[in-house]
Amino acid sequence: MAFMEIRHLKKYFNTAGGVLHAVDDVSLDIEKSQTLGVVGESGCGKSTLGRAIISLSPPTSGQVIFNGQDITKLGKKEFKKMRVNLQMIFQDPYSSLDPRMSVSQLIAEPIKTYKLASGKQELEKKVNDLMDVVGLASRLKNSYPHELDGGRRQRIGIARALSVNPDFIVCDEPVSALDVSIQAQVLNLLQDLQKERNLTYMFITHDMSVVKHISDVICVMYLGQVVEKCNAKDLFKRPLHPYSQALLSAIPIPNIHVEKKKIKMKGELTSPIDPKPCCRFAPRCPYAGEKCFLEEPKLEEWEKDHYVMCHKKPEIPSRGEGPAEA
Amino acid sequence: MSDKIVEVKNLVVHYETDEGVVEAVNNVNLDIKKGEVLGLVGETGAGKTTIALSIMNLLPYPPAHVIQGEVLLEGSNLLEKDKKEMRRIRGKKISMVFQDPMTALNPVQTVGEQIAEVIRLHNQNLSAAEITKKAVDMLETVGIPGERYKDYPHQFSGGMKQRVVIAIALACKPELLIADEPTTALDVTIQAQVLELMKDLQKNSGTAMLLITHDFGVVADICNRCAVIYAGEIVELGELAHIFDHPMHPYTIGLFHSLPSLDKDVERLRPIPGSVADPTNLPPYCSFYDRCENKCEACRSENPKLIEVEPGHYVKCIKFVKGREG
Repeated sequence: MAFMEIRHLKKYFNTAGGVLHAVDDVSLDIEKSQTLGVVGESGCGKSTLGRAIISLSPPTSGQVIFNGQDITKLGKKEFKKMRVNLQMIFQDPYSSLDPRMSVSQLIAEPIKTYKLASGKQELEKKVNDLMDVVGLASRLKNSYPHELDGGRRQRIGIARALSVNPDFIVCDEPVSALDVSIQAQVLNLLQDLQKERNLTYMFITHDMSVVKHISDVICVMYLGQVVEKCNAKDLFKRPLHPYSQALLSAIPIPNIHVEKKKIKMKGELTSPIDPKPCCRFAPRCPYAGEKCFLEEPKLEEWEKDHYVMCHKKPEIPSRGEGPAEA
Repeated sequence: MSDKIVEVKNLVVHYETDEGVVEAVNNVNLDIKKGEVLGLVGETGAGKTTIALSIMNLLPYPPAHVIQGEVLLEGSNLLEKDKKEMRRIRGKKISMVFQDPMTALNPVQTVGEQIAEVIRLHNQNLSAAEITKKAVDMLETVGIPGERYKDYPHQFSGGMKQRVVIAIALACKPELLIADEPTTALDVTIQAQVLELMKDLQKNSGTAMLLITHDFGVVADICNRCAVIYAGEIVELGELAHIFDHPMHPYTIGLFHSLPSLDKDVERLRPIPGSVADPTNLPPYCSFYDRCENKCEACRSENPKLIEVEPGHYVKCIKFVKGREG
């Protein structure tokens, strides 16, 4: 049994224009001490998926089985006990911290909420240890978030998530607001913490090079669905879904000797409101045929541990050959 | 006549704020040659946008102060021109594309009218019909059907809006286009489309371009030359081959090590230690000293100048002064 099993998870929102299928029937297994990377462009539902999994916004339907329990079925009290295991690091270190709390107050808050320290001294010791773990100098204890740069603020966010000793952390674009030199520091920190504390991550990002660096398994999402899922290295060596192929070919590479053949994608994201039962990528897909517009494909295992949601298996060349498109 | 379109000479710009004087740009010399694409790379707060705004003479006074320096266009200093003269230059000789297409357009004016506006301003002898025709042509040049002339910005997606902004900027065939992070707000597949468009337009019109970005991938894709800026100073400047194949400044090298790679498997990133130099409190010596892994006592003795280490390749590091390489 996997560490965390997600079954047929759906998250719909009612909007004026109809029902928005933000996450549509996603099933995944997450293994202990691994990092599951989730990539996709804005609006593909990756953040909603992360929030739904830890019931930060409860899913519309589906199951999330963690430690043998379906956490979507837990009552309020039971869930509060569960919450310490399931934490989140937020994208924007500028808006996710209370501006009127000092660094030590911010880190102490979750420890107090869950009564994890028996007295003032223990609390202080825990806060000091956490600051040390995430690399915040102790002189910053009484500083406020506005006095700190983005990298330090994100370290506070990480310390807050760690303060309750979770098993599983959803990292929602934790480095995308940071400059590259700082981003590398935070990525290294997250990797070190994972090793030391045996953490399991779900790492949500739009940055392909970051996701490749940090993940063991990667899911590519498109309009609320997982369209490809495989080992991180395989995805970059042999992306199979036409969307993944186009996405990878679009990344500008900081190397002037790599001649890249770009796969052009037609148009832009279609609407996630009341989608028709067909392949959602079909209108932009260079391979799309009649069937793609009539029937929804299933996520199938094309190669060992390599799942793809597409009707066009026979026609899709592996990367490098690319489709003949003008 | 030289082949330089714009020359920035000894530019120093400060912002006077409540927290002190922010030394945003410190003695920058830069020239942009006819038809080239010059990349300006640096992290948040490095002074990239301030340089761009100085060239456009759009700095907000106060808090900005030009302490010294000039921006020469065809031999005359733009920083001395009054509003009326600048209005004749902006859009005609130099134009600018801003980072966020969502806020760069007027929400209550049709996109066609916004393109027509700049054409009308700089071609007062044209009839209304001719102006409309030119605006429609421009819309089509950037890949938007002419029928959408009468649509409003909210009816367009982010990528399409950025195309409209580019159409406005290029409508009068300027000699220099300044693009300030033109694709940062866009998804990677849309970014690829917009970069492709900019490359084509640039090639066809021969417009020179100053491209501001934090993404070396974008630089590799589109630029001819590249300047790396740190704490308001250019620390390295050269052809792409210089910067990408043998970067020499420790900061440039550090940036490359910080990037997670798509084509190589790197277990651990090598970030630049520390955080970005505080622009309100820059040292009188090399501003990268605190973060440099290759520093020595001599680095504290002076602030080195930008030195030509090989034809066309400039580095601002004391290790390259007086043949003290190593």
